[in-house]
Amino acid sequence: MKQLPLFAAVLLAATAVRAETLTGAGSTFAYPIYSKWSDEYHKVKPDLQINYQSIGSGGGIRQFTEKTVDFGATDGPMTDEQIQKAGGKVLHLPTVMGADIPVFNVAGVDELRFDGAALAAIFLGKITNWNDPALAKLNPGVKLPDLAITVVHRSDGSGTTYCWVDYLSKVSPAWEKTVGRGTSVNWPVGLGGKGNEGVSGLVQQTPGAVGYVELIYALQNKMSFGSVRNKSGKFLKASIAGVTAAAAGAARHMPKDYRVSITDAPGPNSYPISTFTWLLVYPRNTAGKGAELKGFLRWMLKDGQAMAPALGYAPLPATVKAMVAKTIETIQ
Amino acid sequence: MNAAVYARRRRANALMLAATAACAAVSAGVLLGILGYIAWKGAASLSWSFLTELPKPVGETGGGIANSIVGSVKVVGLAGLMGVPVGVASGVYLAEYGRAGRFAFCVRYAADVMNGVPSIVIGLFAYALVVMPMRRFSALAGSTALALIMIPIVLRNTEEFVRLVPGTLREAALALGVPRWKVAAFVVLPTAGRGIATGALLALSRAAGETAPLIFTAFGNRYWDQGMLGPIATLPHTLYNYAISPYADWHRQAWAAALILMAFMLAVNVAARVWLRPPSTGAL
Repeated sequence: MKQLPLFAAVLLAATAVRAETLTGAGSTFAYPIYSKWSDEYHKVKPDLQINYQSIGSGGGIRQFTEKTVDFGATDGPMTDEQIQKAGGKVLHLPTVMGADIPVFNVAGVDELRFDGAALAAIFLGKITNWNDPALAKLNPGVKLPDLAITVVHRSDGSGTTYCWVDYLSKVSPAWEKTVGRGTSVNWPVGLGGKGNEGVSGLVQQTPGAVGYVELIYALQNKMSFGSVRNKSGKFLKASIAGVTAAAAGAARHMPKDYRVSITDAPGPNSYPISTFTWLLVYPRNTAGKGAELKGFLRWMLKDGQAMAPALGYAPLPATVKAMVAKTIETIQ
Repeated sequence: MNAAVYARRRRANALMLAATAACAAVSAGVLLGILGYIAWKGAASLSWSFLTELPKPVGETGGGIANSIVGSVKVVGLAGLMGVPVGVASGVYLAEYGRAGRFAFCVRYAADVMNGVPSIVIGLFAYALVVMPMRRFSALAGSTALALIMIPIVLRNTEEFVRLVPGTLREAALALGVPRWKVAAFVVLPTAGRGIATGALLALSRAAGETAPLIFTAFGNRYWDQGMLGPIATLPHTLYNYAISPYADWHRQAWAAALILMAFMLAVNVAARVWLRPPSTGAL
C-alpha cells in the first residue's frame, strides 16, 4: 500500500510524452492499406500518430456520427438519413478502389466460375451443394465434389457486405426483393464472421465454405477465389485492371459528393463487384485536427496512391484525384 | 457376516476414493494442459523484438506488442487505483457498520448481482458513461470498466476478511477508549490486511484478462498511447484481434501474447499466495 503514490506518479509520468493523434475507425475492407499508410506517414511525420481500428464500416459510420473518432471509413456510402443524423455535413473522400471476391474452400478445386445468378442463389440458400447442376454448368471440366456449401457472411455492419449485396441486388431480382441492400442485411443462410479478417479465417477453417472478402485478404492468405461473369458475359478474376475499368464510367461522371456505386459496371474488362472506399470527414474539425487531417490526405493523394497496387487496391483515376484534391482544401 | 460387510465397505471406499482422486487429477490436469499448451505454442514466438517493438502494418511479418504490454499495465493499474479503495472501504463498511441492516443487505445484493453482469455489458456502460460524454475512446474509459468489475470482487472479499477479525480484538481496543473509526482503520484493517491485499491482487489479475469491456472503451492503438485520455492498446484486446485474423504471423503472435498474459496472471497469483502469507500461521 505504501508504494501506491509512487505507482500513481509513474503512471502519470509515463503519459507525459505527447504526439498529435488522429483516431479513425471503420472499414476492414481498406484496413491493410490504411494501416500501411499510417505506418508510412508516421515515418514522414513522426509527431503524428494515425490510429486506425478496423471495426467494420457499420461501426465506423456509427462512431463517426457519435464523434468519438476523428474520421470514419466505409466502403458503403452513408445514406441520406445517416448523414442527417451526423449533422447533415459529411465529406465522403474516396481513397482507393477494391474488389469483393468470392473465396471458397473446396478441397482439390482452385479455380471456379460464378455468375450473379449463381452467387445470389448460393447466398439465398437455394444452391446448397457444390455439385449443384447450376455450378456444374458454369464450370465445365471441373470435378465438383458432393459437399454441402457453408455460406460465410459478415456478422458486423460492413461496407464489404454493402458492395456484395449491392451487386447481388443489381443482378438478381429475387435478392433485391427478399434481402436488399445495406451494410448489414437479414441473411437467409450462413455463418457470421467479424470483419474481413473473421470471414477469411472462417472460410479457411470450414471445408465447403464460400464467403466474400476484399481481394487483398485472399492474396495475403493464399486463398482460392473465383472469377465472376461481368455484364459483357466475360469471366474475370478480380484485378487492379478490372477494378479500374469498372470505375471508368464513374470517373467521368463523378457526383460532387462521391457517393457512387460501380458494381455491375458495363465494359468487357470491368470486374463486376468493385467499389470505391471512402474516408468520412467533417468539413469543420476541432482546432489542430483539421490541419492534421488535411496534411495526411494531401500526402495520401500524392505519395500514398503509389502504395495501393502492392496491396491489391486500384489507385484513384486521375480525374477523381483532381476532384478530391480540391475537396481536401475545403476541410477546416 | 461382518467380514462380508466390511469387505464391501472397503471396496466402496476404495472405489470412491479413486473416483474423487481421478476428478481432482482432471481438474489440475486441465490447468496444466492449458498452461503447457500455451507455453509450447507461445514460447517459440517469444523474442526480444516481440517484447520491445510496435506492431507492423496488417499482413506484414514481424513486429511486437510492447505497446499492448505497457497499455495493459496502465489500464489495469489505474483500474486498481479506482476500484480497490472503493471496494475495500465499502467492504469495511458492510462488516463493521452496516452488518445486518437493510442498506447493507441492498449493497451486498447489488455487489453480487454486479459480479454476475456480463463484462461486455460493463463495457457498454463505461462507453455510455465515459466515452460518449468525452467524445473520445480512452484508457480512462477502459480503466473505469475494469474498476467496475473489480469493485464487487474486492468488496465481498474485504467483508469476509474483516468479519474474520476476532470480536475480542475490537472489544479490547474499544475498552481502551479508542474511537470506533480508529478501531476500524488501525486495528481491524491491518489485521485483515493480508487477506484484503490478496483479494485485491486476484481482482487485478481477473481484470487484466478481460477483453470484452475494453473493445469499446480502450479501443486499441497501433502506437504508444498518448496519455490516459486517448485510445490505448491492451494485451487481451490485441490477442483477440490477432486470434480472429486470418494471418498466420498474427496467430503466432497471439500465442506469444497469451503466454505473456498467462505468465502475468500466474505471477500475480503466486505473489498473492507467497508474499502475503502470514509469517507463522497459514490462516487468512
